[in-house]
Amino acid sequence: MTRDLGIFAGVILTVAVLSAATLTDVPAAEDAPRSAVLQAQTEAQRIAAGKRLYVQNCMHCHGLNMVNPGNVTFDLREFPRDEKARFVESVTRGKNNMPPWRDVLSADEIDALWAYVRAGGQS
Amino acid sequence: MEATICHLTPYNALSPPSAEAGFRCGRTGMKIAVWAAGLALLAPLAASAQTAAELASGETSSVLTYGMGYHQQRYSPLEQINKNTVKRLVPVWNYSFDDNRSEESQPLVYKGVIYVTTHNATMAVDARTGNQIWKTKVNYAAATPRIVCCGIINRGAAIFDGKLFRTTLDANVIALDAKSGKELWRQNAGDIKLGYSMTMAPLVAAGVVVTGVSGAEFGTRGYIDGWEAETGNHLWRTYTVPGPGEPGHDTWAGDTWKYGGGTTWITGSFDPQLNTVYWGTGNPAPFNTAVRPGDNLHTCSVLALDPQTGSIKWHFQFSPNSPFDYDSVAEMLLATIEVNGVPTKVILHADRNGFFYVLDRTNGKLIGANPYVQMNWASGIDLETGRPIETDVARKARAGELVTVWPSILGGKNWPPMSYNPRTGLAYANTLNFASNYQAVPADYKAGQWYLGMDMAAGWTFPDGPRGYLKAIDPMTGKSKWEAPSDLPRFSGTMTTAGGLVFTGGYDGELQAFDADTGDKLWKFKTGSGIEGQPITWEQDGVQYVAVTTGLGGVYTLFSGDTRLASVPAGGSLWAFALAPQ
Ligand code: HEC
Repeated sequence: MTRDLGIFAGVILTVAVLSAATLTDVPAAEDAPRSAVLQAQTEAQRIAAGKRLYVQNCMHCHGLNMVNPGNVTFDLREFPRDEKARFVESVTRGKNNMPPWRDVLSADEIDALWAYVRAGGQS
Repeated sequence: MEATICHLTPYNALSPPSAEAGFRCGRTGMKIAVWAAGLALLAPLAASAQTAAELASGETSSVLTYGMGYHQQRYSPLEQINKNTVKRLVPVWNYSFDDNRSEESQPLVYKGVIYVTTHNATMAVDARTGNQIWKTKVNYAAATPRIVCCGIINRGAAIFDGKLFRTTLDANVIALDAKSGKELWRQNAGDIKLGYSMTMAPLVAAGVVVTGVSGAEFGTRGYIDGWEAETGNHLWRTYTVPGPGEPGHDTWAGDTWKYGGGTTWITGSFDPQLNTVYWGTGNPAPFNTAVRPGDNLHTCSVLALDPQTGSIKWHFQFSPNSPFDYDSVAEMLLATIEVNGVPTKVILHADRNGFFYVLDRTNGKLIGANPYVQMNWASGIDLETGRPIETDVARKARAGELVTVWPSILGGKNWPPMSYNPRTGLAYANTLNFASNYQAVPADYKAGQWYLGMDMAAGWTFPDGPRGYLKAIDPMTGKSKWEAPSDLPRFSGTMTTAGGLVFTGGYDGELQAFDADTGDKLWKFKTGSGIEGQPITWEQDGVQYVAVTTGLGGVYTLFSGDTRLASVPAGGSLWAFALAPQ
């Protein structure tokens, strides 16, 4: 979805090895955002990987770069930066009108999303 | 105030079936004669259920179809509320939906009962008092909204033969008993795991319940279904993107047709005399054209269909191989206008691509196509071939360069329906005035995931000042007779009346009435949330009512990043208005 698709070239093998070690149900396909998550070494890479997952899964409700009016959907820029457990819980299981993601996103991916959200939607 | 025959006719009065019967209810003796003849002819049929003849009639005590008539003109011959009296228009009741999502539903009215939908309920409400008669919940799996691109919504029901028909986000078509709200049948029309969902109001044409699907942003392949009203039996399915062996299949390379988009997420119109349904189709998937060389039939097109069989009589494609998400789903409005002095049965269509089209609806021949908003991707339409004459902007976009394209991927006008007033000859449309920063990127198809092929993060180019205009458009030239600007673009439908008014709503929550001839704003009322609904009007016991849903949360709310909307509270409800006594 984003312009830096280059980073996932050649990581198929890495994905195959690492995905066995992730915690929740792992989607079968080696798609680009997922590969970026697994490749991420630095915080910046994690945030960038989180952004790709965000665009792919969350943007159509939470807005471009996390900007939305906050009256229909939660304004993620306001999400408390010290409540990771709540973030993981809400994203995993869903909350009211917020759909659950546990069958789509792995724990690693939710971690990357958290990095992106904590960074305030920047990358 | 001038009384019209419409006010005096009983509920079941019917004018003869015709796609455009709506404006026969008027003041002249000739028209009254036609009206009375229709009444005598059809009264015995109209005991309790809605007949095919009723659906085709233009009678004003009801709103029986999406678009206020099969023609979808959203024109009412009522004129109790007019330029002079509108200042006395006041709310008579408000009904809460107990829901804080976008409310885009067009209410129906039949025999003093309003039928209205949200994403999670269908409701019957007493039209005079606002009292709830019944409310039936719609349940869908919590994961469903993951594949709903542009707002958790529903756009309304259809009514026929004592039943209400609606669609659900998890792609089911259901029939309810109109009296009790009890579910009568349910049919699945698509797999949410593949990204199919449904938001549109069904059309009942020639006794067949016709539905479309959403989901092109997830690489679905669009289709239109026909269902038997009584039983829900599946009668036919017509894919908009032709499969192997079907005409147009050669406009797709390799397997691309399987994920080709062309969804059908807005209700078609119907001409009973020509026995033809006109249905617009959506954008091709993904946006990135490098993935799908060819014209990509029948995306960004209109299909003329036989309602009994679903077979395609003709098609016209507005935007071949579109990179810009220019869906052509918006209303195919049926009217009779003079073309070179000859009254001609036409389709009026304000396409997302920025051109206002006039087509001969008997054969799909292009009559006119002119810009109605600022645009830079095409310099005109070749009237011989119907093809856009593309500019460098389109060529660069196809080559993968970053461009600023006018109109934006939300179009010159999005789904909110325009209206057409036969007395002024003008179409009233809420148009959009901003651009997209567009760049194609690679797209990997994965079932049930976004399949866009565009860098959404590149965002928009907004002008200083108004982001939208309500325009009174001359169909043959695309030029506006008047324009009413709005800083926050309007995303509400419009409705026009013989009283010389145009009704529409704003994101600031105002329901507004404009002078249809001059564009002067004559009246407004703050509804409490942003309006993305579709105003309607009807008369009951000699009183003309206007109703509209309020509640923001649709595509602009979600994607624009317009934080000014933060000052508009969410909260869905239905408002009804009538004139206060003098
Ligand atoms: C279908 C629309 C939709 C999608 C898609 C969506 N969300 Fe939400 N989200 C919501 C709504 C609505 C709420 C508010 C829920 C509530 O509290 O009622 C919400 C709330 C949240 C919250 C706050 C929960 C809390 O504890 O208060 C977080 C965090 C969140 N979403 C993250 C995400 C992430 C990350 C994604 C992408 C993986 C995502 N959302 C995708 C609609 C959506």
